[in-house]
Amino acid sequence: MVLADKLTKAFPTADGEKRAVDELSFRVGAGEIYGLLGPNGAGKTTTLRMLSGMITPTGGSATLAGFDVAAHPFEVKRILGFLTANTGLYQRLTPRELLTYFAELHGRERREATARADELIDWLDMHEFAHLRCGSLSTGQRQRVNIGRVLIADPPILIMDEPTLGLDVLSNRLILDFIRRAGQDGKTILLSTHYLDEAETLCHRIGFLHHGRLMAEGTLGELRQRTGEQRLSNIFLKLAAEGDGAAVLHRPTGAPVS
Amino acid sequence: MSFRHRVRTIYGKELIDLLRDRRTLIAMLIVPIGLYPLLMLGSLQAISVQTQTLGRRAIVVGGIGGPDGAQAQMLTFIRDEYERLRAAQDQTKPATQPAEPQQDPPSRGDAARDPARSGEAGQPVDGDTSKIDEGALPPLDLTWMPCEDRDRIEALIRERGIHVGILFEGPISADPALPTRVQLWYDQEEARSATGYARLTDMFAAVEERWNAQRRRQLGVPDTFFQPFAIAGKNLASPSSVLGQILPLILVLMTITGAIYPAIDITAGERERGTLETLLVCPVPVLDLIVGKFLVVTTIAILGATLNLASVCATVYFGGFNELITTTGTGVPYGQLALILLCLVPFAVLMSAIMMAVCSYARTFKEAQNYVTPIILAVLIPGGVAALPATELTGVMLVMPVGNMVLLTRELLVGAMVRTGDLVTVLLSTTLYATAAVAAAAKVFGKESVVFADVQSLRGTFDRRLIRPSGKPSLTMALVVTALLFPGWFFLQSYLQTSRPDGADLMVLRKTFAFMPVLFVVLPALVLTYWKVDVRRTFSLSPPAMSGVLGAVLIGATSWIFAVEIGMLQDAVFGMSDIAKDSAEALEKALVSLSEPEMLLLMAVIPALSEELLFRGFLLTALRGPAGRTVSILTSAVVFAVFHFILAKLPVTFLLGALLAWVCWQTRSIWPGIIVHFLHNGIITMSTLRPSWVAWLPMEMDGQPRHLPWSVLLPGAAVFVAGCLLVQRAARRGEPPGASAPG
Repeated sequence: MVLADKLTKAFPTADGEKRAVDELSFRVGAGEIYGLLGPNGAGKTTTLRMLSGMITPTGGSATLAGFDVAAHPFEVKRILGFLTANTGLYQRLTPRELLTYFAELHGRERREATARADELIDWLDMHEFAHLRCGSLSTGQRQRVNIGRVLIADPPILIMDEPTLGLDVLSNRLILDFIRRAGQDGKTILLSTHYLDEAETLCHRIGFLHHGRLMAEGTLGELRQRTGEQRLSNIFLKLAAEGDGAAVLHRPTGAPVS
Repeated sequence: MSFRHRVRTIYGKELIDLLRDRRTLIAMLIVPIGLYPLLMLGSLQAISVQTQTLGRRAIVVGGIGGPDGAQAQMLTFIRDEYERLRAAQDQTKPATQPAEPQQDPPSRGDAARDPARSGEAGQPVDGDTSKIDEGALPPLDLTWMPCEDRDRIEALIRERGIHVGILFEGPISADPALPTRVQLWYDQEEARSATGYARLTDMFAAVEERWNAQRRRQLGVPDTFFQPFAIAGKNLASPSSVLGQILPLILVLMTITGAIYPAIDITAGERERGTLETLLVCPVPVLDLIVGKFLVVTTIAILGATLNLASVCATVYFGGFNELITTTGTGVPYGQLALILLCLVPFAVLMSAIMMAVCSYARTFKEAQNYVTPIILAVLIPGGVAALPATELTGVMLVMPVGNMVLLTRELLVGAMVRTGDLVTVLLSTTLYATAAVAAAAKVFGKESVVFADVQSLRGTFDRRLIRPSGKPSLTMALVVTALLFPGWFFLQSYLQTSRPDGADLMVLRKTFAFMPVLFVVLPALVLTYWKVDVRRTFSLSPPAMSGVLGAVLIGATSWIFAVEIGMLQDAVFGMSDIAKDSAEALEKALVSLSEPEMLLLMAVIPALSEELLFRGFLLTALRGPAGRTVSILTSAVVFAVFHFILAKLPVTFLLGALLAWVCWQTRSIWPGIIVHFLHNGIITMSTLRPSWVAWLPMEMDGQPRHLPWSVLLPGAAVFVAGCLLVQRAARRGEPPGASAPG
């Protein structure tokens, strides 16, 4: 469903260039929840932005449901929902107006867009505040509006960049429930997070990113077996220490990349 | 979902979003509605206070002859009469108005609104001297300044050496039925002059009334029977008043202000609120986003301009402030409001695009405000220069961004005549800048390093070390460079023409053509080099196919035929303007003395090389890709025509530009175009300046130009078509045009 093949993003610097993502290859199967883990500056956000068509790769390729992100960015965006914890809302629009707007941007006619917005308002139980301006909503209510926005085109693939970062317990719970429910509904989810416990409970497979490269990937069991550590945080620390010492410790065991 | 539907959706959402914002409403509604009434009332108050202060100072009156001359004596006589009246009033005052304080002289505003109070209209009386002054007559301190003649009086008023000029046209008449004609010259723009004029007219009115009252008592005739003085005021100031001069600047600034907040809100504001990413992951091209947003900013700016203009007019109309706009008191020409608004539209587009381009670089609202400040300062400089009374809508001011719009608005606001050519030049130049600014805004908004400022900063655009080499210039780069060259080229030509000594047309011509390669080739080449763009490929310097060269020779050898015929057709339909005729004659006169090689160098070689490299090299190469063949060719032709400034030449230069662009597009090389351009200019120059060389061509009859005979037209057309076919063949033999950048 999601396939990255030697995906690279280099930014020019005064000395030459800096590779934020360096020949990254991995695959996420249909209906799978894949966790992308790594410290700050590892290249997670850049990877997700490339996969969602927001920025262009400088090398390699990536496809979502068979669509190349560089060649067919709009097809990719049609089958994609993108969410981060920092995603804002238009403060002066109501949730109903906002959802209708995004439905229209996804190609629906006004009447269809309004119907889809109402459907999501029902589903996410937003009736109480659907007519209020987003600027006056609580954090939890805003997160629900954001989830509605992500689901507006009912996308089969969800990309989430640290979706719970800085949220309170209730909002955090709301997002995690949503991810779990979306996974059960068969959506393919690519999740980047700092919270290792979240990855441990949610993800089918996990990839460790360090200095723009994939150090290791696999199920939690595979990673435990490989490192001899039980806790994900310890697995991560061990891999990172080895990675700093000797470039890439281990080639991914995941998908064959061709 | 079509482009239109997407843009409409974005436009609708952004407009609702902005109109719900308090800050937009304040900037758009409250400020204009409140500003102008306050501004005008404030001006009125300031003028009133100033008049009161100035009323107590001595008035320097200039007239022909010395202090003992007849003119000075007549003024002294009237002044003495006035003083006697004052003395009489002082004696009667305690009985009539014991507790009344002395009233100040009538202010300018009072005079405007109540003619009965002004000296010109006289004062209401019923024959009793004691009632001449319902308020007290103020003391009058006059100083005589001898002048040689009328010209000296006028010069001294302009230089502010005297306040009022006086001319008695004949002696003060003893016959009450024959009024003494008195001219009072003044400058309404100079406060002391305006006050002096008002005080003198008051003086005459008071004396007149005193004499009338006496005569009426003696003869028992009606009130209006006698008129001892016929006062004629002559205002030497320019038609627009101070407020009339600064109002256009305020209007222009308010249009800019209208664009600032929305531009910040939908660019930097969007990024700061974290909503930009949600837009960028939608299946919507960045161009649609920027167009939708840009249209909203422009709409708000135009709405702001409309409300400002409406507020100005309503304040002037309902407040009776016509005299504050024009000293002639004719007021705002309300019929021209639509034209003023029409002129403000391309300006609003320009400023909206500039604001959006600048604000797109900012990560936060505050940062965007910091970026906007220098823009406003940069706008104030040409705007301020234009607001000066002596600045006129001519020369370089016609193409100076912002300045030209301030001047045009001023001229229209005070009802001055604006020439069609000037109007078109202002609008065309503003449209050119606006197009470049829109392209820049689109480029900036969609740029990764700008959208994700955390990834790469603004440095990426300007720091040469961070710039990646590219094969051809971006459309934005080409449009911005062209837009900057346009006023530069215009300014250079205007400067050279105004700075020439008399009869030095040839020197101007030589300098103009010496600067042409510098501006048209060297500057773009420097820009290309700095931004690491392939210069050779941009200028399409690759050698053409042989058939392309041959085709170009045939086209160049015959294109002049069509130029001559089109020019004649145009003259027959529209007539040839005097300016165009004079300009052509002056050029011909300057060139005719040159040797043939220099003639060809100036008129054919330099333009062919410089203009081809700029318009068909730099600009057309940038247009390839983003625009299709037709749009690219037509756009470069329009810009080529606009750069020739003379409206009468527009159709011919446009068609020539389109032909040259087509040749370059087909052959993928600059050289065939240079050949066509050189031959076209060379043949026309030589046939005009060396008529004996083409004596065999019957181009004139009885001194009037005539159509070419069919024996020339038909073979010429055949050769031209053959040339076009060869050029077409060159395209087929080479790479398909438009498939990739030329190289």
